[in-house]
Amino acid sequence: MAKDRLREVLEEWEAVIGLEVHTELTTLATKMFCGCPVEFGGEPNTRVCPVCLGLPGALPVPNEAAIEATVLAGLATGCEIAPWSQFHRKNYFYPDMPKNYQISQYDLPFCSDGMVEVDIEADRGGPQRPDRDGDYVTPIGITRIHLEEDTGKMVHVGGSEGRIAGATHSHVDFNRAGTGLMELVTEPDIRTPEEARRFAQKLRLIWLSLGVSDCNMEEGSMRVDANVSVRRRGETAFGTKAEIKNMNSFKSLHDALAHEIVRQVELLEQGGSVVQETRHWDAGAKRTSSLRGKEEAHDYRYFPEPDMVPFEFSAEWVEGVRAKLPELPDARKARFMADYRLPAHDATVLTGDLTLAAFFEAAVTIAGVERAKPISNVILNDLSMLLNAEGISVAETRIVPSMVAELVVLVEDGVISSKQAKEVFAEMAETGDAPGAIVELRGMQQVSDTGAIEAVVDRVIAANPAQVEQYRGGKQGVLGYFVGQVMREMGGQANPTVVNELLREKLDA
Amino acid sequence: MIDLSRLTATQIRDGIADKLFTAREVAEAALGRIEALDGQVHAFNQVTAELAYAAAERIDDAVASGVVLPVLAGVPVALKDNMNLVGTRTTCSAAILEGHESVYDCTAVHRLLEAGALPVGKCNMDEFAFGSSTENSAFGPTRNPWDLDRVPGGSSGGSAAAVAAGMATLTLGSDTGGSIRQPGALTGTVALKPTYGRVSRYGCVAFASSLDQIGPFAKTVEECAVALGAISGKDPMDATSVDRPAEDFTAALHEGVRGLRVGVVTDLLEAEGCSAEVRDSISAAAEVFASLGAEVGEVELPSTAHGLSAYYVIGPAEASSNLARFDGIRYGRRAEEAEDVLDLYMRSRAEGFGPETIRRVMLGTYALSAGYYDAYYGQAQKARTLIKRDFETAFSRFDVLLTPTAPTTAFRIGEKSSDPLSMYLSDIYTIPVNLAGNCAISVPSGLGAETGLPIGLQIIGTHFAEAVVLRAAAAFEAAVGFDPTPPLVREVQG
Repeated sequence: MAKDRLREVLEEWEAVIGLEVHTELTTLATKMFCGCPVEFGGEPNTRVCPVCLGLPGALPVPNEAAIEATVLAGLATGCEIAPWSQFHRKNYFYPDMPKNYQISQYDLPFCSDGMVEVDIEADRGGPQRPDRDGDYVTPIGITRIHLEEDTGKMVHVGGSEGRIAGATHSHVDFNRAGTGLMELVTEPDIRTPEEARRFAQKLRLIWLSLGVSDCNMEEGSMRVDANVSVRRRGETAFGTKAEIKNMNSFKSLHDALAHEIVRQVELLEQGGSVVQETRHWDAGAKRTSSLRGKEEAHDYRYFPEPDMVPFEFSAEWVEGVRAKLPELPDARKARFMADYRLPAHDATVLTGDLTLAAFFEAAVTIAGVERAKPISNVILNDLSMLLNAEGISVAETRIVPSMVAELVVLVEDGVISSKQAKEVFAEMAETGDAPGAIVELRGMQQVSDTGAIEAVVDRVIAANPAQVEQYRGGKQGVLGYFVGQVMREMGGQANPTVVNELLREKLDA
Repeated sequence: MIDLSRLTATQIRDGIADKLFTAREVAEAALGRIEALDGQVHAFNQVTAELAYAAAERIDDAVASGVVLPVLAGVPVALKDNMNLVGTRTTCSAAILEGHESVYDCTAVHRLLEAGALPVGKCNMDEFAFGSSTENSAFGPTRNPWDLDRVPGGSSGGSAAAVAAGMATLTLGSDTGGSIRQPGALTGTVALKPTYGRVSRYGCVAFASSLDQIGPFAKTVEECAVALGAISGKDPMDATSVDRPAEDFTAALHEGVRGLRVGVVTDLLEAEGCSAEVRDSISAAAEVFASLGAEVGEVELPSTAHGLSAYYVIGPAEASSNLARFDGIRYGRRAEEAEDVLDLYMRSRAEGFGPETIRRVMLGTYALSAGYYDAYYGQAQKARTLIKRDFETAFSRFDVLLTPTAPTTAFRIGEKSSDPLSMYLSDIYTIPVNLAGNCAISVPSGLGAETGLPIGLQIIGTHFAEAVVLRAAAAFEAAVGFDPTPPLVREVQG
């Protein structure tokens, strides 16, 4: 069903989506309130101490680097930074929480009222909404960004799929407990699954640019939950929302929302009503199901965390953090379009991946700005194809920027044809040899020497009088035949431009 | 045999340094006194003879090698059982933590031991520090060495009784609403609650984080000054500990109170339940200060009338959250045969918490609940702000303030245990000081004319004015000449 059905229901219905994005501050050296190292994996309960285990008498001490990272994230998403802020305790019992309260923030988050613009490209994923046509940019409001501590991880044994239902017992690993966790909440500004996906991808790119997290959705260092409701187009009141969890990839986010929107619309069209609840996305079965247990109406009994003093951020301090902001995705895209004269699509794709962008800029530095577009082509076509086919990252290939730069120069200088360049690229991916060396070793240098080509051209024309007759009789297409013959005689190394020119010259004479 | 109860901490240290006796002999004397009296007093949950002897050996080795001894070298100390020390059990006198082994050291304890002290044991307390009599202990009450039928006060009653009975020279307690000062008053010991932030709370099991503070008990003001110097100072493990330059609290101790502005808090004397002998002790104390050359005046702290109510919202609110970790999952007592995780929580807590703990957790949970937060917690915080302002105003006119420490002398075991409200009133003079974060000391002012039991004078100072408070207390102590030896101890002294 999916896409077509979604498009269909969105003709009459509008989806209202807000996201909650939790990001672990994985690049910090230590956890949020203690000195334990932040690392993924490890033997269970080896990266713990009295503080993150919540032992009797232990106290939290805030990690200033985590606060600075959160403020940096706020500044990068256009947020206001609170001049005065504090932590609160969120009280609830769960075995993955050592203290049975989570140190979080309540009414005084570090950052609020931001905005991120999202680009939607019509030919990639489509607009999905009848009120927009073609490519469009849509602003997504950021309600707040706050900082809290992550919980431990539970492993349920004896039930199905490791879920708590039916489990006979459970293990808890506190290695992750107390890791700094940044929670961003958006305004309900998102209208389609595609906008949600693009927003999440954009946010990930911003976080990666800032270096605050590795944003690994599979490992859970970036987790996106969605609140979604539907209403008939033209209505202004919100419908009843459901919260969707367990979306471990951008594709899951998109698909889960698409399914949930269709589910809600069908429910309403059949005279039913949406229940406010938390639903679990099952990527395998492609459906959401109601999640019971933890989500009964909770009273978290928030109150100011008395183990820490409130924070006051001076304007000078905030400006000091702002000065540390690196180039952000929007600015980088604009710069790629302006400085390298790249089309919007190229700039979007290249700046959409920090390693590709860095690869591109390194290659351009070597080959020269005037060769930016052909370099972009090689990256977006040959390199991307390789990465997708192999399912690997740039770092895992044998290709480095200097190779792409050299390859593009070889084509631009007419040493090899662009068709040959594809072969050279494949070989350098295979061997890690420099393109120049490959061309030399395989004798692929293109012959552009007019004299040498002219001799072959003359021979081919003399040997094919019938075809000459056809061409001169108006069948211009026969030219391709002559080109093929010449190239064959020259082992494919003749410069095709020169061959074409000489053939025309002789045949039209 | 050395009679420890006649020696101060400094005399012990100097005696060891001068080779009059060894640290091991001091440890033996303290442990001997515990052996002789603790069967009757029950000040200790655990006696740590091995730790004491090991520490004594290090001191005696230092003496042998001619190293300069630290300030508390060879001084027997005991700790309230809510402070972690590796090699001991930290139970908070609660069934849910029975047998709980410490895996790390409380900062204040660590500092005390770094100063050369010998840890002789862990002292009984009201469960999780909830109480004013040490009757709320899962391991049975502590008795007052002055009268074994009476309570030693609480919640640090074991620490107070241990000093009063000469079983330790110095002890540490924790004070959330009076839990050091009130038992100090009831046992005739000197008891100091430092300014909030002066001493690290790291490793002391929290009751109410915004109010808790660790402090010392001793027989003399000077010993409290030495102990405070040893345990205070910024701790990177406690974000609420304050970074201040190190102070020698003994330096100006004996410079007297001439010209010191002393304010007698008059409205608190009208409080419900204040006995005549206690009220009389305050006018006597005022005369003592006047005779020593202080400028004595009167002051009112009207907002402190709301102190008790505010405290019984804020304290339980924070406690309900601090005690949530005791759930039977990771450590401590776990209930058998639970149906599921919720049942495990409920059974473990129902079995492991005593009635007063359950009362406070429920009070606090209620006060923080949606719809009640503003009416209770919010209002209590406003009252707290007003009380702070009252103190600020008073301290603009006076250097120190005088009140009784407790409204009565030691009451009988069982006398108030069925009436929580009358028990709560025991801390009516001490609670406002915690709410404002000030420092205060309880120093014995004599035996009550009617009861013949010790009465304590509370001397309150503004934030970080411990040096002034200690100086006033030392002058008062010298003028009063109180003998801190209970009859029980006189018997064993022979």
